[in-house]
Amino acid sequence: MRPNDEFSCADAIDFLEPYLDGDLPTGQADRLREHLGSCAACAAELALAERIQRELRSLPQPDCPPEVIERVVRAGRGEVVPFPGRKQPLRWRIAAAAAVMALTLGGGSLFVHLQNQRLQSQREQQVAQATQEARFALAYLGRATHKVGLDVRDEVLQKRLVIPTTRSVSRSLSDLPDEPRKEF
Amino acid sequence: MRKPIVLLTALLFFAAAGARAQKLESQPGYVPIEELGLFPADKLSVEINIDGPLLRMVAEATKREDPGFSAVLAGLKSIKVQVFPLKGVDADVIKTRIGRSAHWLEDRGWVSMLKVRDQGEETYIYLKQAGDRIDGLTLLSFNPKDEAVVINIVGRIDPAQIGRIGQSLNLPQLKKLPATRKPE
Repeated sequence: MRPNDEFSCADAIDFLEPYLDGDLPTGQADRLREHLGSCAACAAELALAERIQRELRSLPQPDCPPEVIERVVRAGRGEVVPFPGRKQPLRWRIAAAAAVMALTLGGGSLFVHLQNQRLQSQREQQVAQATQEARFALAYLGRATHKVGLDVRDEVLQKRLVIPTTRSVSRSLSDLPDEPRKEF
Repeated sequence: MRKPIVLLTALLFFAAAGARAQKLESQPGYVPIEELGLFPADKLSVEINIDGPLLRMVAEATKREDPGFSAVLAGLKSIKVQVFPLKGVDADVIKTRIGRSAHWLEDRGWVSMLKVRDQGEETYIYLKQAGDRIDGLTLLSFNPKDEAVVINIVGRIDPAQIGRIGQSLNLPQLKKLPATRKPE
């Protein structure tokens, strides 16, 4: 920057933004343009500022929901505006409910399945033990009746019926005079 | 409104439980072994109580591998066994109780099928009959050197079939019962 220039580079930099926005008064704008014509550094600053502004304008502008704008406006008026409850779109709520239901059902069926398996296993153990016990009872009964049956055959039928009958028949036969003697 | 429903449910539950208990006790072949007070309950070496659904499940489970055994069980409603070891016990007291139980059975229309007294051992087998049908079998056995046993089988009984099946089972092996089951 030249030392005798009344419009300094610092003034030029300060005026760049309002100049680009069209807010700078005509006199000052003329003086700035004069300075920029003789100062390459400030002209470069202006070119950079113009480029930044151009690129910023080329960015997509996000939409602000009207209720937010309304809230900002009302807040600006000093009104207290509470936030309304967050509303999820219906399809998301349905999807969330379906997911919860699926998880509940899945977990429930898994629990029921495991419970059934445990009960089945317990039932099988119970049946196996009861089978063994029933076999024991019948085996005991079988052994007792068998032993008793043998006792009856040997002690009652043999001693008191078969042997006395045999003796009696032998004796009767031996008493017959004309017939040949038969031994039993 | 809820209270009457709860009361009604409880009533039905107890009525069903009572009916089930009543059902077995009202069977002509049923003997209330516990009430006879034959053996001290805490000194039994074997105690078996199988009835109702468990018996049917055992019959069903053994149908393929042991059809004879399964057929015997299919007709039964209950099997009760108590084995009491006589070592270190006043055997005469137990012998008296066995004799008293035999009288108890006779007083209630049980028919003696076998009574054997041999060298201190006593075995009684009683049947509860209704015409040609046998509804119950009770065995009372006393061996002063070993043990005293009572067996009560309720249901449709063919003593010959029970004896045959029982003798085909291996009793020494079945002596190793894993654990006795207490009455349910």
